[in-house]
Amino acid sequence: MNKRIPVGVSGQKKMYTAFIIVAVILFVLTTLYTNFNPMTLIENGDAFVSFITEDFLPPALPKSSRIPGVLSSVLVTLALAFSSTTFAAIFAFFTSLFGSEKVSPFPKLAKIVRGFATFLRNIPALVWAFILFSSLGIGTGVGFAALFITSYAFMVRAFVETIEDVSQDCVESLEAVGASFPQRVIQAILPSCLNGFLSWFLYCIEVNIRASTIVGMVGGGGVGLTLFTYIKGFQYDVALSIILLIAAMVIIVDRITGRLRKEIAK
Amino acid sequence: MEQILKFENVSKSYPNGVHALKNVSFNVKEGEFISVIGPSGSGKSTILRSINRLIPISGGSVCLDGVSVSDQKGRKLRELRRKVGMIFQNYNLVYSLSVLQNVLHGCLGYMNGIRGVCGMYSEDDKKKALALLEELGMEQFAYNRASDLSGGQKQRVGIARAIMQEPKLLLCDEPIASLDPSSAKTIMDLLRDMTSKRNIACIVNLHQLDVAVKYSTRIIGLSKGEIVFDGVPSELTDEMIERIYGTSRENLMIGASANE
Repeated sequence: MNKRIPVGVSGQKKMYTAFIIVAVILFVLTTLYTNFNPMTLIENGDAFVSFITEDFLPPALPKSSRIPGVLSSVLVTLALAFSSTTFAAIFAFFTSLFGSEKVSPFPKLAKIVRGFATFLRNIPALVWAFILFSSLGIGTGVGFAALFITSYAFMVRAFVETIEDVSQDCVESLEAVGASFPQRVIQAILPSCLNGFLSWFLYCIEVNIRASTIVGMVGGGGVGLTLFTYIKGFQYDVALSIILLIAAMVIIVDRITGRLRKEIAK
Repeated sequence: MEQILKFENVSKSYPNGVHALKNVSFNVKEGEFISVIGPSGSGKSTILRSINRLIPISGGSVCLDGVSVSDQKGRKLRELRRKVGMIFQNYNLVYSLSVLQNVLHGCLGYMNGIRGVCGMYSEDDKKKALALLEELGMEQFAYNRASDLSGGQKQRVGIARAIMQEPKLLLCDEPIASLDPSSAKTIMDLLRDMTSKRNIACIVNLHQLDVAVKYSTRIIGLSKGEIVFDGVPSELTDEMIERIYGTSRENLMIGASANE
């Protein structure tokens, strides 16, 4: 008689309960499968702590003659990220025009364009880097290509969605006016989507700053390669300074792009 | 009077199997002001969009100014489309551009090459656009961003863009559905005055029966993709309304003026 009156959407509670049970079971099973044992961490904790305190700390500066080289390698990483993203954005813009059924002059091809972009994107930049280094040899140019491919594919998807969200209505009205496809692109899609495109572009720069460091480590040059050289030379204290330098670089770029994205959204 | 539009046995079925139009036939003459009424999903939007081929039809023929619409492609299609102005429920402006730029978009159908793409409009076109804005009482907003306007003002920009095309026919897809009653009246008055002044035929999709009766010279009633009524407003009896909406008049929200 004192039955509580339910207030939620019917069936929703059951669904959440089932979801949590499945998630817990999956967690247990997957943890067992990966052989993760918290005890190993604790048992070997001493070695880990001494590695950190003795080898890594305190951070040391590289030899003063090497400092300009390290700093210029940071610049290489920044340049790599910025130029590959910019290049990718330009190509992605032209591709994305054909990636939406609602806007493209060849709607039947839109699925193929999107599928192609999804395929490229689902292979991580690091894998592209390995593929390209194996075939073309190492170097910044190849690192550029690896970053270009993934950010190009990512931005095609993002731009297509922006176009469908923002400019579908005004594209329809310009079509009714009798505007040609290039006119619709420049007069409707570009002005209405520009802020969205820029925001995705800045996000992609953030991502690529990190990715270009990693791609650099495996042969793309830049600060990643410098870090890797010091680690391989057992100069962990110098490596730590470089890790801190990388962190500072990423934080600064994130803050700048974050600020710009906020300005754009206004 | 010159005949502008001819619908002959037009049918349209969408890939998902919906038959939006079934054997629809009607003609439109110069200077007519036609309201198309009917419940949601009865095919009102499909009729409008098949006129300028925003939606390709599946059967029958649509003749605009003596030319069959469905055979046209590329440049010929653009030439046909610029004869038909269109006004949308959601205004469909480019909100990041100025009001004047949006009005000038009406010229794009006449422009080719790089000038059209980059929006290098002639001084004559600009003067014409400004004059139109003045006629609509919008001249002080010419250099505002379109996003800064109110709904009624946006729709006036939409009208200016359509008239800028110098169309023979104006299509209005629920032009007042998103507007408050006072803006709605302004917009309907403007549509009637501007089209009659220029002898432009006008087809308006409406949900407001009272507005349809008050403004139209002719009303077309649609039900499930078929024309069930085509006549002057005075012929629209309660019985007809019931046929169009599938329910009796008492169950419909109809504004007071329809009863006068």
